[in-house]
Amino acid sequence: MKRETGMGVALLAMCVALYASNPDFLGASNSINTFRQISMLGIFAIGTGFVIITGGIDLSIGSTIGLTGVIIAKLSSPSCLGLSLWVGIPVALGIALALGGIQGLLITHLGLQPFIVTLGGMLLIRGVSQTIADGGTLSLSGSPLLDFANGGYVQVHGAALLPYPLVLFLFVIGIATYVLHFTVYGRYVYAIGGNRDAAEYSGINVRRVEASTYLISAGTAGIAGVCYASYIGQMSQQVGIAYELYAIAAAVLGGCSLRGGEGTVLGIVIGSAVMRVIDNGINMFQLHYVDTDQVPRIWRLNPNWTYIIIGGVILVAVILDQTVHLVQAKRRIRAAGALAEAQKAAQTAAANDAAAKSGANGPSAPPPPVVTPPHDPPGQQGDQP
Amino acid sequence: MEHKPPLLEMTGITKRFPGVIALRGVSLTLHQGEVLALMGENGAGKSTLMKILGGAQSQDEGTIRIDGKPVVFENVRAAKQHGIALIHQELMLAPNLDIAANIFLGGERKTLLAPLPRGEFNERARALLARVGLERPPTTPVSELTAGQMQMVEIAKALALDARIIIMDEPTSSLTAGESEHLFAIIRKLREEGIGIVYISHRMEEVLELADRITVMRDGGYVGDLRRAEATHDKIVQLMVGRDLSGAYFPERPRSATQEPMLVVENVIVPGAAAGVSFMAYRGEILGFAGLVGSGRTELMQTLFGVTPALGGTMLLENQPYSPQNPRQAIARGVYLAPEDRKRHGLVLPMTIAENTSLPNIASYARFGWLDRATEKRVAEAEIARLRTKAFGIAQKVVNLSGGNQQKVVLGKWLAMNPRILILDEPTRGIDVGAKAEIYRHMAALAADGITILMVSSDMEEVLGMSHRVAVMHEKRLRGILPIEGLTQQRIATLMTGGKGAQAA
Repeated sequence: MKRETGMGVALLAMCVALYASNPDFLGASNSINTFRQISMLGIFAIGTGFVIITGGIDLSIGSTIGLTGVIIAKLSSPSCLGLSLWVGIPVALGIALALGGIQGLLITHLGLQPFIVTLGGMLLIRGVSQTIADGGTLSLSGSPLLDFANGGYVQVHGAALLPYPLVLFLFVIGIATYVLHFTVYGRYVYAIGGNRDAAEYSGINVRRVEASTYLISAGTAGIAGVCYASYIGQMSQQVGIAYELYAIAAAVLGGCSLRGGEGTVLGIVIGSAVMRVIDNGINMFQLHYVDTDQVPRIWRLNPNWTYIIIGGVILVAVILDQTVHLVQAKRRIRAAGALAEAQKAAQTAAANDAAAKSGANGPSAPPPPVVTPPHDPPGQQGDQP
Repeated sequence: MEHKPPLLEMTGITKRFPGVIALRGVSLTLHQGEVLALMGENGAGKSTLMKILGGAQSQDEGTIRIDGKPVVFENVRAAKQHGIALIHQELMLAPNLDIAANIFLGGERKTLLAPLPRGEFNERARALLARVGLERPPTTPVSELTAGQMQMVEIAKALALDARIIIMDEPTSSLTAGESEHLFAIIRKLREEGIGIVYISHRMEEVLELADRITVMRDGGYVGDLRRAEATHDKIVQLMVGRDLSGAYFPERPRSATQEPMLVVENVIVPGAAAGVSFMAYRGEILGFAGLVGSGRTELMQTLFGVTPALGGTMLLENQPYSPQNPRQAIARGVYLAPEDRKRHGLVLPMTIAENTSLPNIASYARFGWLDRATEKRVAEAEIARLRTKAFGIAQKVVNLSGGNQQKVVLGKWLAMNPRILILDEPTRGIDVGAKAEIYRHMAALAADGITILMVSSDMEEVLGMSHRVAVMHEKRLRGILPIEGLTQQRIATLMTGGKGAQAA
């Protein structure tokens, strides 16, 4: 929970600073747009979080997002096959799930490495998109899908305060929180990430649980793909490139460990928000100043610095986190050592008392062994963290 | 004799770990050209002391002197520079590289990018291999060597660094009798060359044959020294254990096991074994499994638990066919395993006591997949109370517990599920004496309740102190099952090392 608190505070501070520098940051149009961006990233970041918590990795989701959109455009765009969206979207989502399932089975049942399987999947799926789009662009213009990303509930002055992607995101958050934190399945996901062998030795069907996480990852990528298709409006093979890395970054910022076993839905939500607020903040941040000729000017961040800033934030976050961990571990060892010493001293005193009473030990005999040390009842050793 | 300072002098070494003091003011002296045997039970602190000497860990208190001069080892490299070489029980060789590359690994050169002087390496490696009597070309990949040959490569590696002190941690644990003899000859040769050797072993005969002096440790402390002339088997054991073993330490065994078969194993073929294994375990029996490391005991247990399904044969559990294909199926029948390597196979270290305790069983008390945390809490609390696990509470992470308490969490997770057969693989390895005695008490109580316990142990006292019968394994075969009455360590050791003299009972 600590990582989430830290990132939450950082997120809040960032928002306050951005608002102070440029009140438009919290203006209706910018904040709705930021929420939409956070939602679309958050949806598939949560899905890939399941994979990451089991200790796996899914590099194919960016390509899955792209393919979902391309398939929908191909099937349902008036300029292509023109089928109903009620056909296009389910088919696209079904294919996304199938791809996730296949990769999951390859990883769990053939024992292949997740990095390699999903790297292959990433390239292969990307290529399929490119082939379907024939290297060009498939326009969704004229499709009712275009209203989805920009529309929403609570209309005020022509803007929807609650864009549909945000609604979808809240829905995903709710289900994921339930599944990951309140069900047996979620417990198994953490156990596998914490120690796969111990999970297996405890009778968990490790392969099935693990394979299912790739299904979840691909499924959320499909949902995000629908949103992006609607948002962008025309699909080419470029859509979704490197999105998996954004999702991984969001998960890690939010407290997931790539070793597995750690992370929460809340953390991934915060991580996604941090990523998108940084993105947006680079455009919004401004400093008013007066130059030497008394002319008021505005200083802005160079948009070319976007990746430098995002990369820097990720590195700083993990460095801080590791430093805190090391300091805590050191403190714990010191406290535990002191505790053990105190217990040992108490035991030795007790043993010496007993020896003195019985008076049986000659001077040449080895020191009296402690056979069964008295145990403090749990909960009495209050001097440890 | 001249008054030279000893080659190595460790004084007042103290080392703390979370929850335990591993070493309390331990002292050790080693002279030039001396073989010093370091003895003590598992968990006595021998390995920790040697890790400190080898630079792998640093002491909290105490000094190390070499040739009378105090030294501080920041890391393994610093220790090596002072001529200290540590040969681990599990050999630290890269199997994908050849002998010469392994010998010179880490000592190659001044700059990383200089070309490897392969010719020179092979030349020097050949000379070193001749010194340790290994007749293999230096270009042989290490993966092609036997355990004994790998040991020779380790020694050659130490010699390549001009080691003056060589520490050997249970060097014969995976060697055949012939290989051990060869090793002893090399050790004697090294002694004549003036090298000091610290020899850690549990095998009394080896120690009595080889050592010039014996230092005994117990519970993280120094207990005493014995010269070779005054050392006897009994004296060493008395120092190591510090008490009469048959007395307070082991609980009264439940009178006797029933004659009601719980598990019948008929010609079961464990993957990797040439022949089938057959035995029978009775209700309420503690059946001990003795054998050397690598004799196939752990593999047999993993087959009984479904980790590596049997390749043939039949098993009956309570007269019903039993052939687990994975741990899930074994657990469903009430057969549970507390594995040898509990950190690797037994526990999810970053999870709490409660989460570990409930892990195999949580699905059964969940409703529609919803976690029942109240039941989880109740069960975990009952288990830590029953086993007297020392913890702040069930929400404590298992990684922060001592070895003994971790083992209790493993036991608790299975005890909460009414075991029929409990397989305990090295149940007290690395556990302090107090927790050990408690675990023994629980084992006796479980057996009295009609649970069958299969106990793999390399601790001979434990095997003799706890078992109703002892199954002895050697080279993946079951050599015999001996009733405990009148059984001696000698008799088990004979069978364990491939000797004859007992029939399967």
